[in-house]
Amino acid sequence: MSSQPNRLAEGGAIDRSKTVRFSFDGQALTGHEGDTLASALLANGIKLVGRSFKYHRPRGILTAGSEEPSALVELRSGARREPNTRATTIELYEGLEASSQNRWPSLKFDVMAVSQLFAPFIGAGFYYKTFMWPAAFWEKLYEPMIRRAAGLGRGAGVADPDHYEKAHAFCDVLVIGGGAAGLAAALASARTGARVILCEEDFRLGGRLLAEPDEIDGRPARDWVEAAEAELESLPDCRILRRTTVQGVYDGGTYAAIERVNDHVPLPPAHEPRQRFWKIVAKRAVLAAGAIERPIVFGDNDRPGIMLAGAVRVYVNRYGVAPGKRAVLFADNDDAFRTAVDLAEVGVAVAALIDARKLPSAAAQAAAERAGARYLSGAVIKRVRGRQGVKGVEVRDASGKTESFDCDLVAVSGGWAPSLHLTTHLNGKPQWSEALSALAPGTLPPGMSVAGAAKGAFGLGSCLAQGHDAGAGAAAACGFTGGSGKASAAADNDRGTVSPVWQVENSRGKAFVDFQNDVSVSDVKLAAREGFRIPEHLKRYTTLGMATDQGKTGNLNGAAVLAQATGRYLGAVGTTTFRPPFTPVAISAFAGHHRGQDFRPARLAPSHGWAKEQGAVFVETGPWLRALYYPLTGEEPQDSVNREVANVRTKVGVCDVSTLGKIDVQGSDAGTFLDRVYANTFSVLAVGKARYGLMLREDGIVLDDGTTARLAEDHYFMTTTTANAVKVMQHLEFCQQVLWPEFDVQMVSVTEQWAQYAVAGPRARDVLQAIVDPAHDLSNAAFPYLACGNVSVGGGIPARVYRLSFSGELAYEIGVPARFGDALVRAIMEAGAAYGIAPYGTEALGVLRIEKGHPAGAELNGQTTAHDLGFGKMLSTKKDFIGRYMAARPSLTDPARPSLVGLRPLDREDRLRAGAHLLPKDAEASAANDQGHVTSIAFSPSLGHWLGLGLLAHGPERHGEILRAYDPVRGGDVPVEVRPPCFIDPEGERLRV
Amino acid sequence: MRIKCPYCGERALEEFTYRGDATVTRPASLDPAAEQEWVDYVYFRDNPAGLHQEHWHHSAGCHSWLVVTRNMTTHEIVAVESAGEGAKP
Amino acid sequence: MSDRPLHPRSALAGIAVPGRYGAPGSEPGVTIAERVGLGLATVAARKEHGEALKQAVANVYGIDLPEGSRIVQGPRVSFVGYGPGQWLAVSEALDGEALACDLLQNLKGLASISDQSGGRTVLRIGGPRARDVLAKGLPIDLDPRAFPLGSAATSTISLMGVQIWQTDDTRSYDIALFRSVSASFWRWLTASAGEYGYEVVGAGGA
Repeated sequence: MSSQPNRLAEGGAIDRSKTVRFSFDGQALTGHEGDTLASALLANGIKLVGRSFKYHRPRGILTAGSEEPSALVELRSGARREPNTRATTIELYEGLEASSQNRWPSLKFDVMAVSQLFAPFIGAGFYYKTFMWPAAFWEKLYEPMIRRAAGLGRGAGVADPDHYEKAHAFCDVLVIGGGAAGLAAALASARTGARVILCEEDFRLGGRLLAEPDEIDGRPARDWVEAAEAELESLPDCRILRRTTVQGVYDGGTYAAIERVNDHVPLPPAHEPRQRFWKIVAKRAVLAAGAIERPIVFGDNDRPGIMLAGAVRVYVNRYGVAPGKRAVLFADNDDAFRTAVDLAEVGVAVAALIDARKLPSAAAQAAAERAGARYLSGAVIKRVRGRQGVKGVEVRDASGKTESFDCDLVAVSGGWAPSLHLTTHLNGKPQWSEALSALAPGTLPPGMSVAGAAKGAFGLGSCLAQGHDAGAGAAAACGFTGGSGKASAAADNDRGTVSPVWQVENSRGKAFVDFQNDVSVSDVKLAAREGFRIPEHLKRYTTLGMATDQGKTGNLNGAAVLAQATGRYLGAVGTTTFRPPFTPVAISAFAGHHRGQDFRPARLAPSHGWAKEQGAVFVETGPWLRALYYPLTGEEPQDSVNREVANVRTKVGVCDVSTLGKIDVQGSDAGTFLDRVYANTFSVLAVGKARYGLMLREDGIVLDDGTTARLAEDHYFMTTTTANAVKVMQHLEFCQQVLWPEFDVQMVSVTEQWAQYAVAGPRARDVLQAIVDPAHDLSNAAFPYLACGNVSVGGGIPARVYRLSFSGELAYEIGVPARFGDALVRAIMEAGAAYGIAPYGTEALGVLRIEKGHPAGAELNGQTTAHDLGFGKMLSTKKDFIGRYMAARPSLTDPARPSLVGLRPLDREDRLRAGAHLLPKDAEASAANDQGHVTSIAFSPSLGHWLGLGLLAHGPERHGEILRAYDPVRGGDVPVEVRPPCFIDPEGERLRV
Repeated sequence: MRIKCPYCGERALEEFTYRGDATVTRPASLDPAAEQEWVDYVYFRDNPAGLHQEHWHHSAGCHSWLVVTRNMTTHEIVAVESAGEGAKP
Repeated sequence: MSDRPLHPRSALAGIAVPGRYGAPGSEPGVTIAERVGLGLATVAARKEHGEALKQAVANVYGIDLPEGSRIVQGPRVSFVGYGPGQWLAVSEALDGEALACDLLQNLKGLASISDQSGGRTVLRIGGPRARDVLAKGLPIDLDPRAFPLGSAATSTISLMGVQIWQTDDTRSYDIALFRSVSASFWRWLTASAGEYGYEVVGAGGA
């Protein structure tokens, strides 16, 4: 096997001393360090690299950059397999595995390619037209079919094993693109002392300079690039990010970029990320993203071996690869015909230069002469020979005469179009440039300037000058007016007369506009006939410009065909909107560190470790992890909960309530302030007492509830529900800062400061009295229900005790500074052992409160009022408070509103289900008969049957009535009796003992 | 979007929480006749295509409520002030 | 029971184990130390008492309260501004609840004081790559030109609320985070510092 048969004997920016082994479709191959997968494949004579999306046509390599629509491969294997990666941007590394996509059983013989026979039937809007009827076929037939056909590569199907991360960077000037203009801009701005970040998508700086035999300041351009790179690296405030694509522009000078930190090595080294998502904040930006070459549309223009002329020069000059043995050039500009000279110089035969322009060009003619090639002006390719690779072309000249040329490479160019995508991300509108025959940047994002080819300046001299000016200007705008050094100089290449040729009429075979989506001229014309005259509509109807390349090489030709088909001026047709990201971004890069257990930060209570030791099963409650229940060995979950509940009702239990929101409210107006934010009154609460409080939203709906204790004249301690803690704090700060700034009140969250435990049950006092230091008397007389106060524990550690009860039993909550939480709960367990103490989790907590009829999350659901929950009497009429006015609206106090009731199954063996609809006993199950629903349910170990809470129209008036609890989703239909919400100790005697 | 908090300096959008229209004023009257005033305050909002004042909370920073004057069509922020005492007489 | 002392427990107990981790190398890129036993308390000026508070702090603690988002170090107590009229007081001398007690006594009627000594984990992150590590989570420019010595900021790191300040070492930052997220923060920190190599320094070290 000859190794790299198409590698030139010399030249190129590759390291020939380093051989890199890789495989394509299982075939062992070699390349060199500095190659891309595309250049290495070409060096090995491989041109057929994939099958197209819709018709499974053989496809090769069209470009040498991230705009590549055709050469998409699956990279790596196993969990690291990545579909649809562009061979043109994959840096070759030792052991690289790549395989072709969308073919079966093999790349060269693909069964699905027969679908080309049906091509006439799968034109524009095919999905919409064919898969419409009957509707039932969608789920079973059409969608699976489309899904199988759509998308080229296969995902790994398992979690990505690599690490990805995010990072923030700040600079004065961000330079996007490290070609001639970008390097000039970076040099000019960094020399002033400004902080500069230069992002280059490629692994090497230089852009087109790596591919063209240009000279700058009288020396080879590549030497200039090296000198520029060295100078930039020597400047302390210039950071060069290679392999980094700026993907999006956002408000406020924010830019998103992806750095492929370790995509170019077999495996990311230990501790290093595969990719890094940069969020860059820049005062100014210079866009120097270059330009993208446009193909010309002609029949079978997608055959492997047909390549953009600029890409041919990249492979020859940068990679030292001959992409073919005998070439034909087909173009409408002099720039492209320079390719003939480059090819001839490395020994590639050039058969002919086919100039699509009507008038002959002297420059093109000269190039043909130097390459020893025929020159035909006013000529077009009318037919391509060869299927899996070009074998020759038939050319029709100006006189209509046909001539045939053998070749295995066709270099095509319809001219260059500025890569202006990033200028449009903030609603910037590109403008049609007649001079360029392309869209040019129009309105720009604030703080951005454009330089070089991205601005339509295709001459090297102009690129350098514009880059320098833009860089110096950007730095100056940031206040850096120091010397930006001397601008480098070079000659501008002559592009010759621009008279664009978009498509070849009457050429044979399918003429592709969008290679990746298999959209042809006939598709665009059909869409136009059917009324899709706007590029945005054309895109949705034909898929032109969709998928990984977003039409980077196809959009302009699509617009041109559309213009012609609708008889309009091309400049008036417009374009689709470019949105971020510029190139595809891995979901893992967006996620960064935030996956698996770090999907979001978990908040752990101070005694989380202790709970874990007890074997607790945890549940996410908002951001917190809370103990759900504490199973004993071999215990079923329901048995654990029953045991925990019974233990509280008969002995004593301990529950971690540290996660409740806790807010210190202080100041001389603290009481008055609380009167405004609570529906009930707190200013008259005695020091040393606590009270249940209800907060409304301004529209009269209940916001949150909790208890608030008065620790001192000017100091209240508020608790909120765990779920609403952040929202309530924000609300209170709005009230304090915006509504009533005149009050002397200060608030701070102390949620994290206090580890707090509920000790509940008939023996709660015995346990707690043993915990607090001896000086503190917790007897009923000294410390009655709703008392609160400062105590100490463990010999002087400050603690607070509140006599509150959520369970309905004798109960206390005790708080200590969080770092003592772990020790305190262990001490409570030890002190409680003699009384049969057991920890209980949130599930038991829920059962206890349902038995007591206390509303919680399922009832405080953002739709209920104080009246609905039986708290109507709490609404003070003696003061203004948030929600007072709107809560009094007739519609919010209407007794027909669903209001809180207790429910128990008529047959005590029946199970209740939350969410079940409440219907009159004998009524038909219809929406019209729906009178409410079951909000919370629990099996009550205290009563020995299921019970529930519900919201029922006219609820409080209907105690004793029998209803249907109808649950069509889970199949329940249970007769239930309406009861008062409180099932246990309705007089509340237990909690006052 | 980046908002220049008067206390913390310029920070990214992610640190802030949006509330809404800052031009409405909570009615002082609890009189039944003030109903329309309350309905306007609680429910009705203008959505101007141009400059607008909005309440934002610097929830991941200093917890200040801010009045941000922002162009609704371009996201350009022309002023940021503390909504607290400074904004009140 | 009540005579049995209760021992404090760091949220990073068993998690932040002293040692050298991550990429090997001669000098670790990052050093991490938990500052345990600190006194921490929030101080919020009472309405119309801002000036009197400043005066009292100057008299008692010997420093001028910082106006903005800055830290001013005192001989016994440092104050970190975190909002208009609000400061986090930090003290090694007055540890745990002692700081809040001291502030309460000296600033009574002038400020609202809340003990926070149990609610925060404070880390000192230093070393030549400390800024690079923090950039992976903190959306704030820590370049000395933007964040000179004495600067402080309240922000988030990887979705977790933090206060950060820099005292007298340009390579080192103090970060106070909410106690409950300490384990999550540690996972972020060590994942981010791994590529530079990091050393966890024993409790109390700097």
